[in-house]
Amino acid sequence: MSDTMQPAQPEPEIQSTSPLREMVSMFMRNYAAVAGLVLLIAIVLFVFVGPLIHRTDPFEMVWAPFTFPGQEGFLLGTDYLGRDILAAMMVGGQVSMAIGLAAALVSVIIGVTVGAFAGYYGGVIEELLMRFTEFFQVLPTLLFSMVIVALFGASLLTVTLAIGVVSWTAVARVTRSEFLRIRELEYVAAARSGSARDLYLIFKVILPNALPPIVVQANLMVGSAILFEAALSFLGLSDPNVMSWGQVIGSNRPYILDAGFAVAIPGFAIFLTVLAISLVGDGLNDALNPKLRQR
Amino acid sequence: MQRLIKTFVATATAAALLASAPMAQEPKRGGTLTMAIQQTPRHLNPAVQSGTATGQPGTQLFASLLRYDEGWDPQPYLAESWEVAEDGLSVTINLVQGATFHDGVPITSEDVAFSIETVKANHPFKSMFEPVIAVETPDENTAILKLSKPHPALLLAMSSQLLSIIPKHIYGDGQDPKSHPANSENVVGSGPFKLVEFVRDQHVILERYEGYFEKGLPYLDRIVMRIIPDASTRTIALESGELMLSGFEENPRNLVRLKKNEDLNVSDVGYAAIGPVNWLAFNTQAESEVSDPIVRKAIAHAVDREFILNALMLGTAGPALTGIHPGSPFYDASVEPYDLDLDKANKMLDDAGYAMGADGTRFGLTVDYGWPTMKPFAEYMKPQLKKIGIDVTVRSSADFPTWAKRISNWEFDMTMDNVFNWGDPVIGVHRTYSSDNIKAGVIWSNTQQYANARVDELMAEAGSTNDPEKRKALYAEFQKIIADELPLYPLWPSPYHTVSNKSVGNAPDSVWGTSSPLDKVYLK
Amino acid sequence: MGLGQILAKRVGYGLVLLIAVLILNFTLITVAPGDVADSIAGDMGGADATVMAEIRERYGLDKPFLLQLWAYVSKVAFLDLGYSYFYNTPVTTLILEKLPATLLLVFSSQILAITVGTLLGVMAARKPNGFVSMCVTFLSLFGFAAPVFWSGILLIIAFVSIFPIFPVGGMSSAIMEGGFFARAVDIAYHLFLPMVTLASIYLALYSRLTRASMLEVLGSDYVRTARAKGLAENKVFYKHALKNSLGPLVTVAGLQFSAVMSGAVVVEAVFNWPGLGTLALQSILARDTPTIMGILFFSSFVVIIVNIVTDIVLRLIDPRIRSS
Repeated sequence: MSDTMQPAQPEPEIQSTSPLREMVSMFMRNYAAVAGLVLLIAIVLFVFVGPLIHRTDPFEMVWAPFTFPGQEGFLLGTDYLGRDILAAMMVGGQVSMAIGLAAALVSVIIGVTVGAFAGYYGGVIEELLMRFTEFFQVLPTLLFSMVIVALFGASLLTVTLAIGVVSWTAVARVTRSEFLRIRELEYVAAARSGSARDLYLIFKVILPNALPPIVVQANLMVGSAILFEAALSFLGLSDPNVMSWGQVIGSNRPYILDAGFAVAIPGFAIFLTVLAISLVGDGLNDALNPKLRQR
Repeated sequence: MQRLIKTFVATATAAALLASAPMAQEPKRGGTLTMAIQQTPRHLNPAVQSGTATGQPGTQLFASLLRYDEGWDPQPYLAESWEVAEDGLSVTINLVQGATFHDGVPITSEDVAFSIETVKANHPFKSMFEPVIAVETPDENTAILKLSKPHPALLLAMSSQLLSIIPKHIYGDGQDPKSHPANSENVVGSGPFKLVEFVRDQHVILERYEGYFEKGLPYLDRIVMRIIPDASTRTIALESGELMLSGFEENPRNLVRLKKNEDLNVSDVGYAAIGPVNWLAFNTQAESEVSDPIVRKAIAHAVDREFILNALMLGTAGPALTGIHPGSPFYDASVEPYDLDLDKANKMLDDAGYAMGADGTRFGLTVDYGWPTMKPFAEYMKPQLKKIGIDVTVRSSADFPTWAKRISNWEFDMTMDNVFNWGDPVIGVHRTYSSDNIKAGVIWSNTQQYANARVDELMAEAGSTNDPEKRKALYAEFQKIIADELPLYPLWPSPYHTVSNKSVGNAPDSVWGTSSPLDKVYLK
Repeated sequence: MGLGQILAKRVGYGLVLLIAVLILNFTLITVAPGDVADSIAGDMGGADATVMAEIRERYGLDKPFLLQLWAYVSKVAFLDLGYSYFYNTPVTTLILEKLPATLLLVFSSQILAITVGTLLGVMAARKPNGFVSMCVTFLSLFGFAAPVFWSGILLIIAFVSIFPIFPVGGMSSAIMEGGFFARAVDIAYHLFLPMVTLASIYLALYSRLTRASMLEVLGSDYVRTARAKGLAENKVFYKHALKNSLGPLVTVAGLQFSAVMSGAVVVEAVFNWPGLGTLALQSILARDTPTIMGILFFSSFVVIIVNIVTDIVLRLIDPRIRSS
């Protein structure tokens, strides 16, 4: 089959090298996006390199509970058990980001599969798959994932799956419409009339060309998954053995009126992260879809 | 989530308080009292439903036979007088004359017999009336309870929400009393107040029953019970004067804050009778290391009770060294307290052969908690027990039933728990240790699977004698054995407080808190 | 196709979706470890094996899965969502009791978000590089990135702790005397912070959307024609541009409805607002499965209704859709 594909392949190849450079330069000209990227890198460094410098176990009770930020040498203060919030922000950030990425990955895998098949095959398959998508759209997202986590127990796995399962529909729609567009393009049509297998065409030929909007969507997904995890934790649905930003919020929530900082700080961390991600996402969107730039 | 056993409630005799307050002014008639209850009652009939949510309105709507005063002594209520036979096998109750239900029908001994039968058959606390084999009603105003053995907890079980006198002509119609429509609407009660309106998650509104048998009472025209689950909201409403009274307040931060307010009285008197004790329970038959008493003792030495009392409870609670509430006359503070001693705990584990691994852990255990307010204490165990090389995994249960199922089927190593004494150990303490109460699927039974023949014997003896001194001695030995074998490690009593505005006269700060008849409460 | 036919088709399709939702919910709850009998037993303070068997029999839990499912679906067909053992009330009654509070929160915040958002969007579109425009961009980023409970908590810290202007939560004051007007004022006073919190997310979205679609419409041919015809700038702006940006606004508002409901759950939790979200959380904590399933079903039902209404409204606003 590779023989028949030869003439088709150079085209996407060419498309993806020089536009990449153009994309990067376009991205770099977008100050907000660059600022977002810098912020994101800073957060990643804080979260992954920070614990190497600030070696405190986030579970260890190091000082009196609710030491105010800045006092007694605790930059971000301590929580209700007297655990160092700075350490929790670092280690917890790893988990929050991991959950964000993993949940986004789950939703991208489901969404791309559904969208790709729907867009590629059309007809009854498309109809069925899009009805399936619509079905998931009428589920109350947060309530539904709350119920899943409550019923099956709060662990990283259930939380990730619960978020992924309710948030893939947007990816499916984007993927489908891209596929609808691309499958009509000449080189795809040519390959289809040849002996190329459907799966090969879907994942090797069309998907790479449909990626830009999917990447943008996936990027947004990471941000909303982090928010989602935090909301679940806030409602008390998180695994107490794993430090995450949401976990800090959830466990300090009863003390809002007396020590709001223990909730405000992780909330701010989430805000900054999601902000950085969405700025980068906007930049990516503009760089990948030049036509839409003025939006 | 602590509904249920966690919530036992009773009667305030404001009279005793009145006597002890020389400055008290003459009570005034009239006015509306606004108070808080913490959750929506399932319904308003305490005869078939335990819990403070039902008890606080329930004790206004329904009278019981007795009240209890500060010194644990029974006082007349619907029962004008009572007499326990020499052999302890029968109790004769003489009802007050002229008492009527809210529909005007007289309250008779038939209703008492019916109420006792209903409670016995439907209330979760089976031990209350278990020894009652028959209730005889020789005339309208006399009821005689026949017992199979002396039952020291009986008089207490006839007070407050434990024995609401309910009308036979309403509840005796053959419907299941647990889901009887008259439990939440058109309630026909026997107490000082009658129901105006019950709106779920909003309020229960009560007004004076003019035909109440205690002349001149109640003083208040109305009681508005606002249902406010959130402690912070209640705190602010108490501070602003919007709320005048709130019982069962236990959030340490809010208590500290409320105590500073000059317009408020914050009192912890009385809840000793309810006896809520918090402890770390162990599964003594677990397959893990926790089945070894030495491990349990090492854990007890590693848990810093002072940290819990000072940092987490902010000094609002004292220690509980045994499973009997510190306020109970049977409490024995001379047992081994297991003071914090990490070195000793580590040495105990070393000596017992639990070698410390290279990663700083000896073995792993799980700790459970059943409702959100217990979470901090379960979370505390993780870093604290790490210090003696135990790697603790906190198991959260998203809902109470999940926890109850795990614990009652013994699928746990350790759990935080909170169990009520019920005034008398027979009702609330025995169930935790009695070897014939190891029952799969029953939460707050002997879920520790603890069995000791001597302990069973001591409880049986203490439960069938009415002699207080003898009982005290028996319970002292009982507490010593428990403290030595540690099926559970008691930590602190829940710091229940009654918060009232200073404008409230005769505020219910006697023994039974806010789940007592508020007939003597007035507004200054 | 006429409007009636479309409506009929959508409603029919909505019914199919609802049945699918029911089946999914029921399956999920059944597959999960633990059942209603466990909850009832936990609530009673425990029950041994015989009592458990009794409870299961009473609630029909001993029957085969498909029979139970059939019993449930056919009950729901008659608007009977089952009985909450926890609240001792029919689930339908419970939901209808809580619904007004949630609707009040959702609609007031949406109205606030749409009016202020549109206003800001229009102002931004008039001067695409001006100050307001920048604010809109900033707001939209904030709205997307800020966790809703965090905004709520910040508001509580600011307006309850530091400057005690607003109540910390609940829907009404403890004393409920006074007439209808006094009560309405009291509820509005309690509504303010939760409403602003929930609106903050969508305010951003709507302002950004209005700005974008206004800019697009302003650049389109027929607006240029209108201008060329010498129509006053204001008239062009409000009559044509604004009217045309309504379509996307309605679409997004409709699409977002499910998300708004999610936001409402969190806001209700922050402010103790006694609505459906609070009910959901309580019934999850008590594993009151009939109520959980009832709320899930009802939420899907509302989303479907809103989708249909959105569709119809769009067709009424923009006749072009009708032909496509």
